[in-house]
Amino acid sequence: MQRITHPLVGAAMLAAIAAPACAQDLLIKAGRIMVAPDSILEDSALLVRDGKIAYVGNDIPTEARARAREIDLGDHTVSPGFVLAATTLKSDADLAEGAFAFTPDLRVAEAFDAWNEHLEHLAPSCVTSFGMAPSPRNVAGGVGVLAKPGKTRGRIAAEDAFVGFSLVSAARSQERDPTSLMGARSLLSDAFEAARVGVEVGPDLAVLRQVMSGARSAMIYGDTYAELNAALALGKQFNFTPVIIGARDAHKVMGKLTERGASVVLGTLSPTKRVAELELPKKLADAGIPFCFAGRPDQLRVSAALAVRHGLSREAAHAALTRTPATLLGQQSAVGALRQGCSADFLVFDGDLLDLNARHIATWVDGVLLCGAEQTQNQHSAGANR
Amino acid sequence: MIRHLLTCSFSVALASLAAAQQDVTAYTNARVLAGGRPSMTNATIVVAGGKIVAIGTDVAVPEGAGVVDCTDKTITPGLIDASFVPGISDNDANEQSDEVTPHLRILDSLDPEDPTFRRARRDGVTTAHVMPGTQNVIGGLGCVIKTHGDDPDAMVVKQDASVRIVMGSEPSMRNRAPRGGRVESMYYRRPTTRMGVIWAVRRAFYDAQEAMQKTQGAPDQGAPAPGIEVLTRVLQGKLTAVTTARSEQDLRTALRIAGEFGYQTVIDEAQDAYMVADELAAQSAVVMLGAPSATSVSGGGSRDGAAPRSGTVRALADKGIKFVITTGTNTRRLPLIREAMFAARNGLGPQQALDAITIEPAKLLGVDDRIGSLAAGKDADFVIWSQDPLDPAAVAESVYIDGKSVSQIR
Repeated sequence: MQRITHPLVGAAMLAAIAAPACAQDLLIKAGRIMVAPDSILEDSALLVRDGKIAYVGNDIPTEARARAREIDLGDHTVSPGFVLAATTLKSDADLAEGAFAFTPDLRVAEAFDAWNEHLEHLAPSCVTSFGMAPSPRNVAGGVGVLAKPGKTRGRIAAEDAFVGFSLVSAARSQERDPTSLMGARSLLSDAFEAARVGVEVGPDLAVLRQVMSGARSAMIYGDTYAELNAALALGKQFNFTPVIIGARDAHKVMGKLTERGASVVLGTLSPTKRVAELELPKKLADAGIPFCFAGRPDQLRVSAALAVRHGLSREAAHAALTRTPATLLGQQSAVGALRQGCSADFLVFDGDLLDLNARHIATWVDGVLLCGAEQTQNQHSAGANR
Repeated sequence: MIRHLLTCSFSVALASLAAAQQDVTAYTNARVLAGGRPSMTNATIVVAGGKIVAIGTDVAVPEGAGVVDCTDKTITPGLIDASFVPGISDNDANEQSDEVTPHLRILDSLDPEDPTFRRARRDGVTTAHVMPGTQNVIGGLGCVIKTHGDDPDAMVVKQDASVRIVMGSEPSMRNRAPRGGRVESMYYRRPTTRMGVIWAVRRAFYDAQEAMQKTQGAPDQGAPAPGIEVLTRVLQGKLTAVTTARSEQDLRTALRIAGEFGYQTVIDEAQDAYMVADELAAQSAVVMLGAPSATSVSGGGSRDGAAPRSGTVRALADKGIKFVITTGTNTRRLPLIREAMFAARNGLGPQQALDAITIEPAKLLGVDDRIGSLAAGKDADFVIWSQDPLDPAAVAESVYIDGKSVSQIR
C-alpha cells in the first residue's frame, strides 16, 4: 500500500524532531535504571540526546557527560515508559465506518487528533506511547498507528503499524452485514482467500496480503471461546500469527495460543475481578504466551501489581507494561526499553513501580518532561550526599 | 537394514499393544440394549482405546483388564439428539444480513463449554446434530458433534452433515413489509409472508440448478458462489437437506418444493406430521420429530399454526414412515430419554422408541459406522442406566464418550 503522509502529521513530526535537536544533552543519574525487564543498572546514568537514549551507563563518553545538563534523581528508579497496546482514545465514532464492516484499507493515521483531550491523561498514567487501533465495531477496521502524548499535542510516531480486525459482538451489527459470528468469520475467510488467489487486488485485499506475508501484524478483538477459536483458525488457515485483544476466554484456548505462537492483550485488571481473571497473566506467562494489558490507562500499573500479587514474576509484569506491547506493535527498537537508540520515554518512581506504595514522580517522553517534577530538593541533596 | 526395520516395527507394535492393554475395561453382567437389535442379559462389553472391541453374552474378560460390574444396570448406546439446540444466542445462530446463507457453518459459533452440552451429557446424550437457527430461509450447514471435548474441530463426527431450510412464518418475521418499515434498513426486504419464504427457497435452488447446468456446459467457468455450491450438493444428493416445517401447510410445501427440484428432504419438527402421513410415506421422507411431548414450541413462530398430538409417533410408525425423536424446540425442555419415554407411553414399542434416539438418527445423519449402536469396532459411547432407561425413575449413572467417563451420577 502506498503511504500517504498527511501534511499536518508531517509538520508535527518535523517539529518533534527539530525541537529537541537544539536542546542540550541530558544526563539522567538514578539509583536504579531499568533498561529492560531483564537488565537493571544500579547507580547508573542515561545520556539523552535529541529525544533519544544516546548512551547507557558506562558507555557514556566523559566529554559528553561533562557537556550535558545533569539531572540527579538520587536513589529513585527509572523505568521505560508504559506502552498501551491498543486504544481508541474514546474516538470510536471516527474509527469505524458505520455502513461497511470490511474496511481494512482505512488508516487510523487520518483520524488521529493531535489535540484529543484524552491524550493529557496518558502521561500521568505513565503511558508514553500507545497503539491507536481502529474501533472494534468493524470486522476489518483498518491500519493502526503508534502514537505518543506530547507537551501540548500528541503525535504519530509510526504510521501503519498494524491491521485491526474484530470478531467481538460489537462488530456484528444488526443493521448491516454481518450480524453473526459465523457471518463475520466467513467474511474474513472469503476475503483472505480472495487476497491469496486474486491476481489484481484492490487496496483492501492488498492490506490482507501484507498480513499474510508478515509485513504487518494482525490485531484481532476477540473475547469468547468461539471468537478466539475463529481468530486462531483464520491465522492457521492464512499463515499469520494473530495478536488477540480482549481474550476473556483465553484460559480455554491456551494450547491453541501456544501452538499458533499467538499473543494476547488483556483488559486491565482491578481488585474486584474474579480470581481466575487475576491469575490469567501468570498462566499465560507459564505457557510462554506473550501478553500485555490495554484498557484504562490509569489501571495499567495496578493491573501489573495485581498480576504479581497473583503469582506473576516481577520481570514478566514489567515486560507486560513495556517490552511486550512494544514488540506486539512491531516497535521494539523504538519504544518499550531504554537501550541506545530508543526514544527517551521514561518514568521516575521513588521505589519499585510494582509496589503501589512507590510514588510516580515524573513522566518523560522524547526527552521532554510531560508531567511531574524534574528533580525535588531531597532528591538533589540525596544525590549530592552520595 | 530390512531386518532392522522389521525389528523396529515389531517392537513398536508390541509397545502399542502394551499401551492399549493398559486402558482395557470390561463392563460385565449388564443388561444391554445395543441398538437395532433385541436386548441381551448378562452381557459383557470390552472397551479399549476409545472403541468397543467385543460385546456379547459369551465374551471373556481379557487378562489385566479393569472390570466394572454392572449387575442390575442397563447399558445403551450414547443417545443422539438429531435436532439439538445449543446455548448460542439467536443473533449468532442466524446471519440476518441475508435470508439465504447456505454456506455458513454453525460449527464456527460453538463453545465446547456451553452448559447445554453439559446438561446433554448428564442426560445420556453423547452426540448432537446442531443446526443454524430458524430465522433464515436457508440458514446454513449443520454438523454432528460429540458433546464432550475442548475443541469443536476435534469433537466433530461429521462437519457438513446437513443444510437447514425453514418453512413457515419465522424466517419472515423480522423483515419489514413495504409499508411500515424504514426504507434504508436492510430488513426492508422479502420475504414478509409464507409465499415470500417459498419464493426465496425456489429462487435459491433455481440459481443452483442454473449454476450446475452452466458448469456442465463450460467446466472452466470457475467455482460457483459458496452458497450456490452448497445447494448444488443438495441437488446432487451429496448433502442432506433438513426442512424445518411445523404446520400441515408447511409440511406439504416442504415436500412439494423437494419434489419440484428433485432432492430428498428430512422434515424437522413436523408437529403436524400425522396429518400428512400418506404424503410423507409416498415420498419416503424421514421425519425428525421435534419433541413428541411438545404442546408448544419456542421461537418467534410459536406453534406456527401446528396442532401437536401425542399420538403422532404411533401414526408415523403405523404408516412405516422412518422417524427419529429429538428434543427440538420444545419449550418444556425435557431430556431426550424422557421424550422417548413419552413416545413409548403413546403407543411406540420400547425398542423402537430407543432406536429412534440411537441407531436411527445415526443412520439418518450418515454416522452409523461409528456411533448409534454397540458393536465391535464402534466408538465406545455408551450410558449405564440405573434401570430400564424408559422407566421414569431411570438415571444416567455413568456416561462414556470414546471410552472416557464424561458424567457420573451416583
